[in-house]
Amino acid sequence: MIIIGENIHVIAKDVSTAIRERNAQVIQSLAKEQAQNGANYIDLNVGPMKKDTEETMKWLVNCVQEVVDLPLSIDTMNPVAMEAGLKYCKKRPLLNSASGKTDSKTQMLPLAKKYNCDVVISVMTDKGMPPEVESKIESIMETVSYANELGIPNEDIWVDPIILPVSTAGEGQRIAVGNLEFIKILQDVLPGVKSTVGLSNVSNGVPAHLRPILNRTYLVMLNRYGLYSAIADPLDEELMAFVRGENPEITDLIYRTMDGEEIDLSPLSQKEVAYVKTARVLMAQTLYSDAWLEV
Amino acid sequence: MEYKEPREAYKGVIREITIGKGEKTLKIGGENILPLHFFDEGSLPNPPKFALEVLDMEPTEKTPHLYEPFGDVISDPIKWAKKCEGFGVDAICLTLLSTDPAEKDVPADEAAQLVKQMVNEIKKPLIVYGSGDEKKDAEVLPKVAQVCSGDNLLIGPVQKENFEVVGKAILDHGHVAIAQSPLDINLLKELNVKLCKFLPPERVVIDPLSSALGYGIEYSFSLIERVKQIGIITKDSMTMMPIIANLGDECWKTKQAKENKTQGLLWEGITALSLYLAGANILVLKHPETLKLVKETIGGNGTCQN
Ligand code: B12
Ligand code: SF4
Repeated sequence: MIIIGENIHVIAKDVSTAIRERNAQVIQSLAKEQAQNGANYIDLNVGPMKKDTEETMKWLVNCVQEVVDLPLSIDTMNPVAMEAGLKYCKKRPLLNSASGKTDSKTQMLPLAKKYNCDVVISVMTDKGMPPEVESKIESIMETVSYANELGIPNEDIWVDPIILPVSTAGEGQRIAVGNLEFIKILQDVLPGVKSTVGLSNVSNGVPAHLRPILNRTYLVMLNRYGLYSAIADPLDEELMAFVRGENPEITDLIYRTMDGEEIDLSPLSQKEVAYVKTARVLMAQTLYSDAWLEV
Repeated sequence: MEYKEPREAYKGVIREITIGKGEKTLKIGGENILPLHFFDEGSLPNPPKFALEVLDMEPTEKTPHLYEPFGDVISDPIKWAKKCEGFGVDAICLTLLSTDPAEKDVPADEAAQLVKQMVNEIKKPLIVYGSGDEKKDAEVLPKVAQVCSGDNLLIGPVQKENFEVVGKAILDHGHVAIAQSPLDINLLKELNVKLCKFLPPERVVIDPLSSALGYGIEYSFSLIERVKQIGIITKDSMTMMPIIANLGDECWKTKQAKENKTQGLLWEGITALSLYLAGANILVLKHPETLKLVKETIGGNGTCQN
């Protein structure tokens, strides 16, 4: 699985300050750490970046490329910032992201063609987020065929089903299950496309110390169905161990839970029990609450 | 081919809970079917029950058509409660509004004495609500529990901010807790999980918060419906508790209910009926004529089957 390191993100206060003050050290150490921990891409989530766009993107991209040898994922909704970023990338970058929205189709997708890069395309449309697996598939097929017409082949497209927090009033769990189904059938409907998810969003709104286990368990589940890549936190050692295929016992427990097996928890370690309970929540076998590990 | 009626059988059972003691008892819950699914396998041993709300102080805002049936007893909570008994209630719900620091900030002892006196003088089981101020309730409700030890009252609201101290007193003195969370199914389950670490789930009733018609009733409806489905269909132990819909006050706060009597009765009546259909096990109303209206609508045995 390809891991796109998520830690250079303007929502983080130190990152936005560092970018504003051109503090290369902060950015570079974040990039290096992620690379050392096994990230395959470095995501540069710069937000809308309305001011000094060109100059800032140039500085940021070069700043990261000075210290790591990885390809970059340019993460912004602003096509001007996107182009500025792509322009300076030395390795074939990832355009993150386009969608089925009209603006995105007319402004982002042509950039992917122009710079001959890989592109994340999400299931979003002008009407917002399609609610069901079927409507997501419908929407992505339409956008992908639009991209194909522009000359972007399936192999360059990384489809994103959009992950939402599992903790939101019941709906979140249904969507978590739906996205597993989506990844499972994706190759049948769009052969050759790749896939990606914003993994950490599954645990958004959950108390901070409980977030990692949700992220890790969900990654294992998505991986089972062939997920190609994830935007995630490479500094989470245990997550990266799963990515390398370590922890086969826990992986097996998660798979068995997914298959609906009633696993006897009594002989399991505390850690194993936690993973089984988390998988149950992500499969919507039991109603989510912040106390899910205490039940 | 012969037609066979589809009949579902469910795994979960809502816990049956008894409130009150001796002659003055009341059972709620116990069903293993979804609301009004009488065509499925299972039964509803205890059709929904109704309580009228009594305040422990004379209301400051006296909507005339709301308080008119009670005449001058609204300055005396005991007489008010007795009058309610004449209107065919299953229980009395006493709200200790005066203890609210924003009202009279009446001390816990004084409030608890009133509750005890009411328990002694009325013939129906008693539900007691604190003012909803988490800090003050953490003093008032344990005191009520202690002074009325063994009376098996239904006491709340137990909230995430005070569940430890209030829940403990309810456990020690043999009462039932009303676990209240702000209209959110995940928070509702979380509170029950935490509470049931020391309080048996057989001593918990869920208050999901009841919003009035036009003021978020769709939230309350779908929440109650979902809690019931998850309890009965998937047998989630932490949602298999009976539900209390304390809706009277929410309805009479609305501009529409205050405007005129017919509108008020209908506002409260439609809200009550909706939450009854969603699956509430006990409903708290304010106006005796609404009570009559709702009872007539759902029929004598409370099951809409006449
Ligand atoms: C019930 C409810 C409603 C009811 C209100 C019922 C009533 N009696 O007034 C209705 C359906 C009318 C409603 C409408 C809206 N709501 Co509302 N509502 C809730 C809900 C489910 C529960 C709140 C509650 O009763 N808490 C328990 C009581 C005891 O606590 P309280 O703090 O006293 O609650 C009062 C206030 O929260 C207030 N209120 C309710 N919603 C809103 C929204 C805003 C912006 C404000 C200022 C006040 C307010 O009314 C409550 C009852 O008096 C929460 C979700 C949640 N689980 O918390 C969302 C929630 C509070 N609502 C929200 C929103 C966005 C709205 C709307 C703006 C939606 C819209 N786009 O129209 C409107 C605006 C209403 C307004 N101007 O007051 C958001 C607020 C997000 C934020 N942080 O800004 C929440 C958190 C849900 C969410 N995650 O999206 N809401
Ligand atoms: S209950 Fe009334 S006010 Fe509320 S959404 Fe429905 S129609 Fe609108």
